[in-house]
Amino acid sequence: MNTATQTDTVTLTIDGKTVTVPKGTMVVDAAKTVDIEIPVFCYHEKLGPFGCCRMCLIEVEKMPKMITACTLAAGEGMVVKTTTEKVEKAQKGVLEFTLLNHPLDCPVCDKGGECPLQDNTFKFGPPDTRMEYNRFNREKATPLSPVITIDRERCIACQRCTRYSDIIEKDQALVMRNRGFQNRVSTFKDQPYDTRFSGNVIDICPVGALTNTDFRFTARTWDLTNTNTLCGHCACNCNMTLGTRLNEMKRVTTRPNDLVDDGWICDKARWGYDFTKSKNRITQPRKQGQSVGIQEACTEVAASLQKIVEAHGPSSVGFIGSGYGLNEDLYSYQKLFRTNLGTNNIDHKTYTDTPGLPVAHFDLLDVETSDLVVLIASDPTEELPILDLRLKKAMTRKGVQMIVLNDQQTLMDKYASLSLRYNVGSDGVLLAGLNTALQGQSAESDLESTTGVSSNQLQAVAEKIKSAGKVCVIYNPVALTGSSIHTLKQCLATAGGLAETTVGAMPAAPVTNSVGAMDMGVLPDVYPGGLALTDGDAIKAKWGDTAPLEKGLSALEMIEKAKSGELKALIVYRSNPVVDFPSGHEVGEALKKLDLLVVHDMMETETAKLAQIVLPSNGPGFDEGTTTNIGGRVQLRTKGLTTDNPADWKIVSMIAKELGQETAPKDVHAVTAEIAEKVTGYQEIKRSAIRKQGKNREAVASANGASASDGTHTGSGLILRVADVLFSHDKILDAESNLAHQFQPSTVHLHTSDAEQFGVKEGDEVRVTGNGHEVKAEVRISNRCNPGGLVLPKVSDEQGVMSLAEAGKAVSWVTIRK
Amino acid sequence: MTEILFKAINTPNLTSIDVYEQTLDGYQSLKKAFEKKPEEMVELVKASGLRGRGGAGFPTGLKWSFLAKDVFPRYLACNADESEPGTCKDRELIMKNPHLLIEGMILCSYACQIETGYLYMRGEFWEYEELMDKAIDDAYAKGYLGKNIMGTGFNLDLYTHMGAGAYICGEESALLTSLEGYRGEPRLKPPFPAVEGLYGKPTIVNNVETLCAIPFITRNGPEAYSAIGTEKSKGTKLVSVSGHVNKPGNYEIPLGTPTIDLIEKYAGGIRNGNKLKAFIPGGSSVPMLPASKADTPYDYESLMEAGTMLGSGALIVIDDTANVVTEALGLAHFYMHESCGKCTPCREGTRWMYQILTDINNKQGKPEQVELLSDICDNMSFKCFCPLGDAAVAPVISSIKYFPEDYEELIGSMKTAQPVGTP
Ligand SMILES: Cc1cc2nc3c(=O)[nH]c(=O)nc-3n(C[C@H](O)[C@H](O)[C@H](O)COP(=O)(O)O)c2cc1C
Ligand code: SF4
Ligand code: SF4
Ligand code: SF4
Ligand code: FES
Repeated sequence: MNTATQTDTVTLTIDGKTVTVPKGTMVVDAAKTVDIEIPVFCYHEKLGPFGCCRMCLIEVEKMPKMITACTLAAGEGMVVKTTTEKVEKAQKGVLEFTLLNHPLDCPVCDKGGECPLQDNTFKFGPPDTRMEYNRFNREKATPLSPVITIDRERCIACQRCTRYSDIIEKDQALVMRNRGFQNRVSTFKDQPYDTRFSGNVIDICPVGALTNTDFRFTARTWDLTNTNTLCGHCACNCNMTLGTRLNEMKRVTTRPNDLVDDGWICDKARWGYDFTKSKNRITQPRKQGQSVGIQEACTEVAASLQKIVEAHGPSSVGFIGSGYGLNEDLYSYQKLFRTNLGTNNIDHKTYTDTPGLPVAHFDLLDVETSDLVVLIASDPTEELPILDLRLKKAMTRKGVQMIVLNDQQTLMDKYASLSLRYNVGSDGVLLAGLNTALQGQSAESDLESTTGVSSNQLQAVAEKIKSAGKVCVIYNPVALTGSSIHTLKQCLATAGGLAETTVGAMPAAPVTNSVGAMDMGVLPDVYPGGLALTDGDAIKAKWGDTAPLEKGLSALEMIEKAKSGELKALIVYRSNPVVDFPSGHEVGEALKKLDLLVVHDMMETETAKLAQIVLPSNGPGFDEGTTTNIGGRVQLRTKGLTTDNPADWKIVSMIAKELGQETAPKDVHAVTAEIAEKVTGYQEIKRSAIRKQGKNREAVASANGASASDGTHTGSGLILRVADVLFSHDKILDAESNLAHQFQPSTVHLHTSDAEQFGVKEGDEVRVTGNGHEVKAEVRISNRCNPGGLVLPKVSDEQGVMSLAEAGKAVSWVTIRK
Repeated sequence: MTEILFKAINTPNLTSIDVYEQTLDGYQSLKKAFEKKPEEMVELVKASGLRGRGGAGFPTGLKWSFLAKDVFPRYLACNADESEPGTCKDRELIMKNPHLLIEGMILCSYACQIETGYLYMRGEFWEYEELMDKAIDDAYAKGYLGKNIMGTGFNLDLYTHMGAGAYICGEESALLTSLEGYRGEPRLKPPFPAVEGLYGKPTIVNNVETLCAIPFITRNGPEAYSAIGTEKSKGTKLVSVSGHVNKPGNYEIPLGTPTIDLIEKYAGGIRNGNKLKAFIPGGSSVPMLPASKADTPYDYESLMEAGTMLGSGALIVIDDTANVVTEALGLAHFYMHESCGKCTPCREGTRWMYQILTDINNKQGKPEQVELLSDICDNMSFKCFCPLGDAAVAPVISSIKYFPEDYEELIGSMKTAQPVGTP
């Protein structure tokens, strides 16, 4: 151990101070550790050494020339000097060059106040310039994309942005063109630079050359209130800073957390926070369409629920939540229904999943430290963007290999050493085959005809898994069909039993707090912390003698029972079943039959329109509490905006109080503390412990159902695959959104052979029909999936793709009409 | 006169492989090389004392021995970007004797265990691309290239690649970046190409002239080569003499020949009977010297001692009718135009210097601008990312150092500035 530390570090002196740093540390970074600032422009820790701006020149004993501290790895015994006369002259010289053609329009520059060029000039620069010629005039504010403005006069050509596009995004969309002082940041043919991660260049640009078009001129940076919070858009839970002024969202910027986002956010975070000021927010409680006070609304909800339970029993009421809620909110709701109303009719999803894993729950950092990533049914680029960047980093810079198993083509394929496409709907058979292969047996003979993947190929996958030291399995449970999640977990269990291999997994459902929702027991058959209904004693000990032990209804079953009249009351929380549930077009009719529909949500939705009582949910930006990301990391989401409406958990506790609950948490911390006490795995989740970088909750007990075959799928037409789209036109990204230019038309992706069979060609306007519903779409002959399936990207709420899916069916058959 | 590189260079049809074989025992050195182990070939080149002719003068055999051990594939990139003002020797070799270069590339590849070589030619050499391609095809046809060359099991493929016309692409790391299909910009060293070069693999970058010397060394032994020249500067050198001389052109000289002989004996003396004023011995990137230093022997050490460099071997001669400010301005324009723009001092400094020199040359300068020029040079010198920026100051600072009167003449009364930077 000791020898290892000795050889893994180097000791040097910088301006007389002795510094010991890990081998490979650049001198600039080594200096930082002893509070010596070496000024930089082009250097960025995540982009690596580049050395173009020359701002960081230093002297090193025994080196004949000055050298850039950002490109020099600290060496044993090095003697570094950063304040000699020569260094100071060089710094002044470089700054003079840098400013030579810089417009110095600081008074109207958005970067003003947080500009490295201003700061470095102030600290290290010459008092004035000797430049007597007109500055080189270049294009001022011009759009680099609909949301990014570039000011070419301010650019100091540090190439951070172009390197970001190359190294991090792996796109090379942004490049330097032209030579010498004429060089310019641009794209091929000056097309807009509108990738999914484009906005990060604004944060890393050391000057005001790249600015946020939406934020431009709306506030001076020093007038902003900056709140450290989390993005609420997907289950990566990236860290971000919310800049507000006068209680209005002004901008979103990165807040690096290497354990989560690695320093980046996607454009949905940066430009997808307009919902905080949208007209479509639910800001007032309503009863039968009339505004009411929150107390009145809660009293009404409680009284109605109580009446219904008294008349029809606890099983006549139910709760449909979603992974959009915070742990505190979801925890409070399940507690309300279980302990105050006595039912397990609690759910948050329409697909099959179970809490916990038979192997370790890997965190995002494990992606880089594994030898092999197995990506199953997941499309991180659209579903979990920051995972996309992390995977690219792992594949291209950390020597990790990847196997992709998916029923559709994704942008991840090109990073995979092996990419297998199984037939849409055949994931259960495929995974069973993989499990067999992992057990060293040969697969069923009909494997290939059912899945499109041969047993040899699966054998190869199994071999790769067996020969890797550390394997990280990432899967999207939402994109698995029927009950194949159980088979997947059996595969995990098998792989976990391999002698030479460490296996961990990451359940990568896209919705923000999907993992938290499972952990909090927003499930009809599992209590918080993975506590199974069979464990009656434990349940009673924790939740009291009256805690219900019979399995409740799933979300889809609740809709079913609402239709049949057996379910009388429903609280729908942060969910829009009319649009997002399979057979959504029939959900409305079912909900109308309820005696009581309460919708507790942030935005007006098709479902909220049907509710007797509507409660306001504050949502990201306004709310405060914890979420658990795909890596099992629990982090604190704090509020940067305030509202008069109570927090969601508070509303739940007001309802509970009306139902006779005597104690109420005094603030959100009290709920977090209660979770730590009640939810297995969350014992260590204390506010103080998670404040900085979050903390992994301990593994939640793994509950897994038996692997049941969903049978062979029979039907006619093609099997539907709905694909997630990051910039989908929905309630959050509405027509006024800054990201509206990213909205896509409705398209249907067909395999060449199926297109022939249906007699359609590229670009045809067709109707995709099935389940008594139709969706208009334009044909793309893309071979995105194997023959026999079709892919419909979910591009908007209005498009209504989920209605094509049959509720409760493993697969849905659709057909194409002209 | 010792002719190694230019031997029989003007033989009609020397570009034909048959004529090459007949006239110059073409490709006969391969047999000799293949009798040796690759490492022995490297030792042989080391022993010859051959130094790189591209500008830096790095010992060639030593460079070859720096290849990362046991890492394959390795690549050869022959540098035929030849864009240094005044330099035109590689062009003559390529256009008149392409097979000599191919033979040199084969020998280098064998010594370095390389199976793929590229010839990177400046964009303006488009006329010779076809010629080079044909020569390569003919070498394949004769079995000097391709698989299992001459039954030895050694394989080699050669390709030509055309640059797009950027001086910076002659710098070895920018050349590799450009060859990979990226914008031509130099990259960080270390890692040096011999460790991580083309596509991240060990790569030898050698100048055309360097490689053209290998067949002679292989055939005649290292001693035959090292017998020529001075104690430390071995062999012959092609010098491109240009400027105010009667017979500008490429001349092959034994290293150590007095510079004045190059001007007077080889290049026919100064035009119109004028007097020599100054000369730039090694291409635009090295400091100029006044006529008083014209007897300096033309070799690496002597020129270095005289305060300049041999560089790419381009002798630019300036006679006494010229004002050196005009010469410096011309070169400043070149560097401004060719600066790749990657690093700040070069990108901004070359343009600023050009602006100031333009004013002075137009008799609109101010005395204090000379001091400013010197200080700009100091702020650029050895502070740029690659040697291009450092080189850009050489003509300017040396013109101020040796010819303050030329500035004075254009500016009027001038306070003589002591140059701060030593180029
Ligand atoms: C700006 C710049 C331009 C250069 N241009 C050339 C060139 O055109 N041809 C060349 O052979 N070397 C050129 N070099 C030198 C190369 O970087 C490299 O040292 C050389 O090709 C190595 O070959 P050698 O060892 O055979 O000389 C240039 C260097 C710099 C800094
Ligand atoms: S736009 Fe900004 S980040 Fe990009 S090169 Fe210019 S200064 Fe650097
Ligand atoms: S990846 Fe997800 S959590 Fe991260 S910024 Fe994008 S939407 Fe937000
Ligand atoms: S010195 Fe800098 S700007 Fe000039 S050519 Fe080299 S890298 Fe490019
Ligand atoms: S920060 Fe070191 S060269 Fe730019």
